[in-house]
Amino acid sequence: MFDWLTREITNDLLRGVWLTVALTIVTAISATIAGVAVGALRMSSRGVGRRLAGAYIEVFRNVPALIQIIFWAFAVPNLFNPATRKALLFDNAVMDVARDLTGIPIPYYGLAGALALTLNTSAYIAELFRAGASSIPTAQVDAVRTLGATRSTAFRTLVLPAGLRAAFPAMSTRLVHNMKNTALVSFVAVPELFHELQASIQSTFRATEFLLLGAVIYLVLAAALSALLGWVDRRLHRGRLRHQGHRPSPGTRERVAA
Amino acid sequence: MSDQLDFIIRNLPNLIFGFPGQRPGGLLLTLVLAVVGLGLGFLLALPIGTARVARSATLRRAAQVYIWVFRSVPLILLLLIVHNLFSAGRLWLETSSFVSALISLVLYSSAYQAGVVASGLRAVPEALIDDARTLGAGRAKAWQTVRFPFAVRIMGPAFTNQAITLFKDTSVVVVLGVADLTTTARIALGSDIENAPFWVATYLTVGALYFLVATAIAQVGNRRFGSKTVARTGFVDRLDSTATR
Repeated sequence: MFDWLTREITNDLLRGVWLTVALTIVTAISATIAGVAVGALRMSSRGVGRRLAGAYIEVFRNVPALIQIIFWAFAVPNLFNPATRKALLFDNAVMDVARDLTGIPIPYYGLAGALALTLNTSAYIAELFRAGASSIPTAQVDAVRTLGATRSTAFRTLVLPAGLRAAFPAMSTRLVHNMKNTALVSFVAVPELFHELQASIQSTFRATEFLLLGAVIYLVLAAALSALLGWVDRRLHRGRLRHQGHRPSPGTRERVAA
Repeated sequence: MSDQLDFIIRNLPNLIFGFPGQRPGGLLLTLVLAVVGLGLGFLLALPIGTARVARSATLRRAAQVYIWVFRSVPLILLLLIVHNLFSAGRLWLETSSFVSALISLVLYSSAYQAGVVASGLRAVPEALIDDARTLGAGRAKAWQTVRFPFAVRIMGPAFTNQAITLFKDTSVVVVLGVADLTTTARIALGSDIENAPFWVATYLTVGALYFLVATAIAQVGNRRFGSKTVARTGFVDRLDSTATR
């Protein structure tokens, strides 16, 4: 029944799964860091920074992830002349290390894909973090400032943790979305799971089997990532009332939790 | 520089309307995919979202599984699965990949919208429905006159988000070769090495087209639903984030 799943193909698929997981984790971390930074900048009082952050959010959110991936991977290298391009992006010691480390034949494409996913997801996270942080009661911020905290201390001790806590459920949804978006880097020759599925179909002509197997694997990955993020969310809330200072409308909390 | 501009100007009609003889294509086809996907997806989302908050535990469970499955599988994979199921043996038909793309987009967006519908229905204060019942409305009447209209108003901003998301996600139909904006760009550039210098300009143009439409949808949505009041509380994000549960 599973004769289509030869050892060789299984190994390829497992390598694909590994790359998908690695891409998911790397881009989730980089997007969260970049997103919080941009979100914080968006709330800053400096006009230029705020406007730059706003442009970052609008542009990287409103252009499809696929277009961004193709842009960084396939379009940008054309800006350089062939010799520079080769030395800078494709054929150098750093790329050799990356190739050995990740197993991506052309590591630059993997890097470009990861960059595109990071920019796209961080733009969403920036906006979610900003929304989360603006749900912090102003009285709390005033209290911290009155106690003599500088703006940066207030940010580090209050706005960052409380904002993250408030935004985390929505950020989790976006990070799961980001996991699914890693499938898009298959377009730029990065051999992650979706790419390996397509390759297996081409070599065996067993489309239905591999497509359904792929669906099952992505379901498992999504469930695992959701569980992991749920665990992080609970840790963020340890010893605190849930969603403090974040009450959309009367009765909603109970009903949403129901 | 001028040949860059030349290339873009020459291809702009193709990017927007599709190649001559294959119209509608390009951005126009992208819009068709998004509008039909969103519309039919909403019609499908209504019963599923309602089932998600139904009294029957079986119905709730079934709706939850539906939402979970179609939200967990990447759209690009869903496209191939649907195409594989519906078009076995006639893969060369262009209409067939278009229909497969539409079916996939409807299923995909219905799962997201069902989550929004469910959250919207849950967000209607119970007291409001109790009031309607006290005034003599039956269960169906209270649903029709109070709960549903109230829920739809709450859902507005979240639907705007869904519309924007689906509009951008349609770019993935390139995997089936449906001649949308993304596919048109790929075809316009082709594998011709002579076109290499035009890649950046072409994808910047394509990105700008997506950006303009997405921003326009946001503008219209904000004006229509006044997201300024609702979105600022983070409520829209909560609708989105709780939609999977």
